[in-house]
Amino acid sequence: MDTVLKIEHISKTYTGHRALDDVSMEIPRGSIYGLLGPNGAGKTTLIRVVNRMILPDSGKVFFEDREITAEDIYRIGYMPEERGLYKKMKVGEQAIFFARMRGLSKFEAIKRLRKWFDRMELTEWWDRKVEDLSKGMAQKVQFIVTVAHEPKLLIFDEPFSGFDPINTNLLKDEILNLRDRGATIIFSTHNMESVEALCDNITLINKSRNVLSGSVGEIRRRAGGNTFRVVFSGEYDKFTRAISDKAELIGEPENLIGGYTQHKLHIKLDKDIRPVIGALNESVNLRSFQEIIPSMNDIFIRAVNGTL
Amino acid sequence: MSKINLILSREFTERVRKKSFIITTLLTPILMITLMAAPTLIMMLGKTSTKKVVVVDNSPERFVGRQLKSGSTVEFRLLDTGITAAEARAQYSNADRAYGILIIGSDILSNPGNLQLILNDASSMSVEESINGQIQDILRTERLSRYEIENIDRILADAGIRVNVQTLKNNVLAVDEDSMEATSTTMSWLLGLTLGMLLYFILIVYGQQVLQSVIDEKQTRVLDVIITSCTPFELMMGKILGIALVAALQIVIWAVLVIGVSSFVMPLLIDPASVQAISDPMMGSAISSFTDVGFLLSLFVQLLVFAVGGFLFYASMYAAIGSAVDTPQDAAQFNSIIMMPVILAIIVMMNIMNDPNSGLVFWCSMIPFTSPIVMMARIPFGIPAWQVIVSIIVLFISFFIMTWIAARIFRVGVFMHGKKPTWKDLAAWIKMK
Repeated sequence: MDTVLKIEHISKTYTGHRALDDVSMEIPRGSIYGLLGPNGAGKTTLIRVVNRMILPDSGKVFFEDREITAEDIYRIGYMPEERGLYKKMKVGEQAIFFARMRGLSKFEAIKRLRKWFDRMELTEWWDRKVEDLSKGMAQKVQFIVTVAHEPKLLIFDEPFSGFDPINTNLLKDEILNLRDRGATIIFSTHNMESVEALCDNITLINKSRNVLSGSVGEIRRRAGGNTFRVVFSGEYDKFTRAISDKAELIGEPENLIGGYTQHKLHIKLDKDIRPVIGALNESVNLRSFQEIIPSMNDIFIRAVNGTL
Repeated sequence: MSKINLILSREFTERVRKKSFIITTLLTPILMITLMAAPTLIMMLGKTSTKKVVVVDNSPERFVGRQLKSGSTVEFRLLDTGITAAEARAQYSNADRAYGILIIGSDILSNPGNLQLILNDASSMSVEESINGQIQDILRTERLSRYEIENIDRILADAGIRVNVQTLKNNVLAVDEDSMEATSTTMSWLLGLTLGMLLYFILIVYGQQVLQSVIDEKQTRVLDVIITSCTPFELMMGKILGIALVAALQIVIWAVLVIGVSSFVMPLLIDPASVQAISDPMMGSAISSFTDVGFLLSLFVQLLVFAVGGFLFYASMYAAIGSAVDTPQDAAQFNSIIMMPVILAIIVMMNIMNDPNSGLVFWCSMIPFTSPIVMMARIPFGIPAWQVIVSIIVLFISFFIMTWIAARIFRVGVFMHGKKPTWKDLAAWIKMK
């Protein structure tokens, strides 16, 4: 696998508190990677280790197959959860300042920033102070400041907090756009809908440890445990007889409007589902047959509670 | 452009553009000049009115009243014999007719206390001094003359001398005594006090700005954004140097304004003839200091060196504290420790007048915690150049050591949130690998 960032066995202890305990993960190039976990799980510490803001007690971070160095910092863009901009400084000047801090020349910085400001509909705010901006606009400025130097790796901490639905979509599109142009993106969030919509892979950290890793589709399917929902009309006895040796029923049948019955059933992972559908089709009037895939929200809660 | 440079120029331009900077920069020298010029102006304005005092003299043959001489301060008018004190008081009852009524007792020679001045207006020290002085002389002469010494008038005229010590700065290069600079202890002290207070102001006000700036960035989380594009050391140095540059700019503007006023405006205000007429050595020295451009220039250069050195030394401490805490309230405890040597310096500065070369003063002007303020207050007394140079060297070496320590606290402190650190924590951060 072509990885941009590889985190190997990172541990970090603050006075008396273990913030990270042997956490490892690999971020594939060109993917969007979700870093999930409840508050205080250690996500921010992990991001800070990657950013070289703090040194781990043990473990290593590799950036493009080399151990990460101070120079690599310019190829990482980081948007912290709690946004930081100088309130009294003019928006444009501030964006130029940060872009230059990340190695762009003044000329190049202005050129790129003008383009970004146009796209984010912020041009008329260029000469205004940050304190005059609305929260959403300040967030957009923060986003521009993070991406203007076109880093290979982007780290967003809760990128959608404080955005209205329209701007959330704008930002989602821009994030996908950045990925399509070759950037790798890590984002840390509690917003599970955005994880389902954007992330290819995730790692879930709970109590300083990595508890769940993998591709989003696979994790959801695995968490679903090959469970299906069947909706039919017809005799219930015929239904139970048809699947008796092929699947096991879960719970009780539910009666739906229009004379339909709904039932959950579980099929063993190594078994094919086609014989089940075939048998049901012959004995009852099959309305729908659908795999139950838990939402990331369910998975998050179950993983954190240890019931996954 | 290096990171330090970028941070420095951001700090500098943001601060210099502020209204508060422009206002303090322009107001302070106006205040300074007003303070300096005040004694001269007051003296000149005070000279305008001559007070009229009518004299009821009951002494034998009115010998006291007849000898009173009117001058620029008081004009005496001896009333005719027979007018009683009560009549005079009734007749000259308002300030337009007379400033006051002087009543001389009949036994004034044996009882010099029998002397009254009844005023229609606010009392004036210069009038009282003039009356006391003249009557004292008259009585002394009268008493001496009773001994019937030959040529008493000539003896008295000969003995009537006034002494006024002329303090000169010993300068081996001066050809003769006339070319040596006249100094006055009081004047040096006042000047030293002004410079010391100015330095105190720069250390504290600008030092606090460093503290505030670091805390602000920590609170607004700008720090998290910046720190991913530079090292903590670069950030700290950029900040300290940027604010130092603001302080330096302010001093240079003050120097230009003060020197400009003294070399172009003061000569127009002060008529040279009236300066020569001033017999008071303190006033003379004050005026000569403020019209001596070379003296002012050297003073400002030294001020600049000590202000920058002292600021850098204190600012690194402030930066370290700012990085370690979350709120200005948390900083207060550490802040008070920083303030202690500063307060000590102020106390020592107040005592410089007694002996600018005492052991305490000398050492306080060498130790970097107090040296910028104390040395600056000593300089107007004319101390050996080697002392100033050694003090500067010690100050700048200490600045490097302090910066190193501060940087070690800073690199850990900036990422610490939530808990207020103890002194033990700070020590641990310094030692941390």
